[in-house]
Amino acid sequence: MEFTPLSFSAGGWGPDMVRALGVTILLSMSGMALGCLIGILGSACQLSGRWVPDRLSRGYVALMRGVPDLLVIYLFYFGSSQVLTALGQLMGADGFVGVPLFLIGAAALGVVSGAYLTEVFRGAVQAVPRGEVEAAVAYGMTAAARLRRVTLPLAVRHALPGLGNVWQLVLKESALISVIGLVELMRQAQIGAGSTRKAFSFFLAAGALYLLVAWASGRGFRIAERRALRGMARGGLGGEQAT
Amino acid sequence: MTDAIVLKDIRKVFGRLEVLHGVTLRAAKGEVVSILGASGSGKSTLLRCANRLETPDAGEVRLGDLVVPAVKADRRTVDLLRQRTAMVFQAFNLWSHRTILENVMEAPVHVQRRPRGEVREEARALLDRVGILDKADSYPAQLSGGQQQRAAIARALATRPEVMLFDEPTSALDPELVGEVLRVMRDLAAEGRTMLVVTHEMGFARDVSNRVVYLHQGQVEEQGPPDQLFTRPESARLRQFLGLAEQ
Amino acid sequence: MIDTAFLWETLLRLLPGLPLTLQLAAISLLIGALLAFALAGMRLSGLRLLDGAAQAYILVFRGTPLLVQIYLIYYGAAQFPALRDSMLWPFLREAWWCAVLALSLNTGAYGAEIVRGGLMAVPGGQIEAAQACGMGRWLMFRRVLLPQALVRMLPAYGNEIVLMIKATALASTITLMEITGLAAKAISESYRPVEVFLAAAALYLCLTLGAGRLVRLAEMRLLHGQGNTGGTHS
Repeated sequence: MEFTPLSFSAGGWGPDMVRALGVTILLSMSGMALGCLIGILGSACQLSGRWVPDRLSRGYVALMRGVPDLLVIYLFYFGSSQVLTALGQLMGADGFVGVPLFLIGAAALGVVSGAYLTEVFRGAVQAVPRGEVEAAVAYGMTAAARLRRVTLPLAVRHALPGLGNVWQLVLKESALISVIGLVELMRQAQIGAGSTRKAFSFFLAAGALYLLVAWASGRGFRIAERRALRGMARGGLGGEQAT
Repeated sequence: MTDAIVLKDIRKVFGRLEVLHGVTLRAAKGEVVSILGASGSGKSTLLRCANRLETPDAGEVRLGDLVVPAVKADRRTVDLLRQRTAMVFQAFNLWSHRTILENVMEAPVHVQRRPRGEVREEARALLDRVGILDKADSYPAQLSGGQQQRAAIARALATRPEVMLFDEPTSALDPELVGEVLRVMRDLAAEGRTMLVVTHEMGFARDVSNRVVYLHQGQVEEQGPPDQLFTRPESARLRQFLGLAEQ
Repeated sequence: MIDTAFLWETLLRLLPGLPLTLQLAAISLLIGALLAFALAGMRLSGLRLLDGAAQAYILVFRGTPLLVQIYLIYYGAAQFPALRDSMLWPFLREAWWCAVLALSLNTGAYGAEIVRGGLMAVPGGQIEAAQACGMGRWLMFRRVLLPQALVRMLPAYGNEIVLMIKATALASTITLMEITGLAAKAISESYRPVEVFLAAAALYLCLTLGAGRLVRLAEMRLLHGQGNTGGTHS
């Protein structure tokens, strides 16, 4: 089995595959960023204690939990062109208006990951030891200062493992964006496979690249976790007695 | 003798249960008051009303010239109350993401807005005083329980409080670590600090306090100087609590 | 704004996809569970070679997208003349078999970690008690370890069941007309993506919520009398 999918010689597919990998990474990062924004909003709604935002947020999470991501992607893809075409017609434009595929993909990934991230952020804030927040109250910190100096720093440390997991998820789900035609890694592999009739080689190469990025990100997150927890966790975060 | 702090007619209800039935507690400047009682007597709740970690349903707290009513106390007044008192918790509650030194400096720098350099020096002196200067750059999880509590005491001292509040400071410690914390507390008492201490440590209450208050089911059952309360308690319940035979 | 008559009509159009969705999910989960036990056994065998092989398998199947795995099998098999001439070809040519294979291999990897976690979560004292009264290894596994491990696996495996039901949607990319496949067709024919999405979502939600409820029921039945095994999982 030749490894032409990744050869960098003239006529080789290497450069295209690597470029597509770049698109995948960029796409995933964009989706993740949007997901974080949604997650912050969603968890804030649930932590607020107000009935309406809480229920809305929970409904959103439950929906994303129960529905395949592929359906969401189709909704965004077909829905966006519908909405824009309608808007376009309102403004006098003619014919079909399309949204850039990258944006659709990032939006879909963001909406899907936002649900998971809502749970991650909510859990992280709730895991902050209440005693430490109470001490901040006792020492006169205002609510804003408490949030900034105690709750959020501690919550971030709790959120890191969950963030890492969701990132791995987004990275893999980004492959689904290939169905709407965006040339990320998966689609590029399909193109190569169709052209050379060497489907196995190409998808194997794609798989290997996904694995590489997953492994590298995993290590990155573990390093970040270790640094965030420096001196802190010995089986837990928060005031514990060393023996 | 001027009163450093007065908790007047404090009433507190949790749901249907009235935990404090109008308790009055005062401490003069320099007085060490020990608060004893069985679990459920309301002693921790009373102490936590002093810095408004619990909000009383009736009554008021006076800290020197500051009056904090139960109802309609504004934000600013409460913040001032908390800035001028300091609490040491049973669970230490040191901020786990900051070093010991940073813990001690946190409130003076970020709440009281004192200059960082001055605070750092004072913080280091305090850590030295409680005997853990060598741990200044360590994180709480790396210290033993006794060390953490001493750090918490240093953190409390750093805010230069008018009144210090101790909520069962040694209850969560292994027996052999209790001594080092009590030693520090005795020092503080000796130098004239005003201290309200909820404790089970009878030795401390007897040897160090100026006055002992015994709480039973949300009311002051008896109070007085320690030698009186410990040797000739009047109330039968107190006698039972102290484990003394009928006299 | 939303045409409820159309919604209902769409729902009816999507229903024929339900059996296929359930089929794919159920069969893959079953095969995957067997695979999961085998892999967990390899990991807990104590033999470095087996453990390593299992770990490698799990790493690959959890670290790459399911879509890649599906395409590898469906499109990739054709690359090898050896496969084309073999006994397996009639199967590998069929989208249905490829989907089941891919889904099974995938859930097997995730399941392996769940099984392993469940087995390791049984308190050591239970095993010791069994050994102390002279139970043989197989007997102990059957009567002590496995029952207790199964209860601990349930929450995580319940989650895996939900994920598998959703994963069957990917079979639509290789021509299978399960719910999502029919939905894609319905959208391209009607240009009403929102309604189709809602109808399809409703179907999937029924499936996933239903599955969740069944799992919780199973948990409660199995927990009956087992005291504080609790619903914890990593």
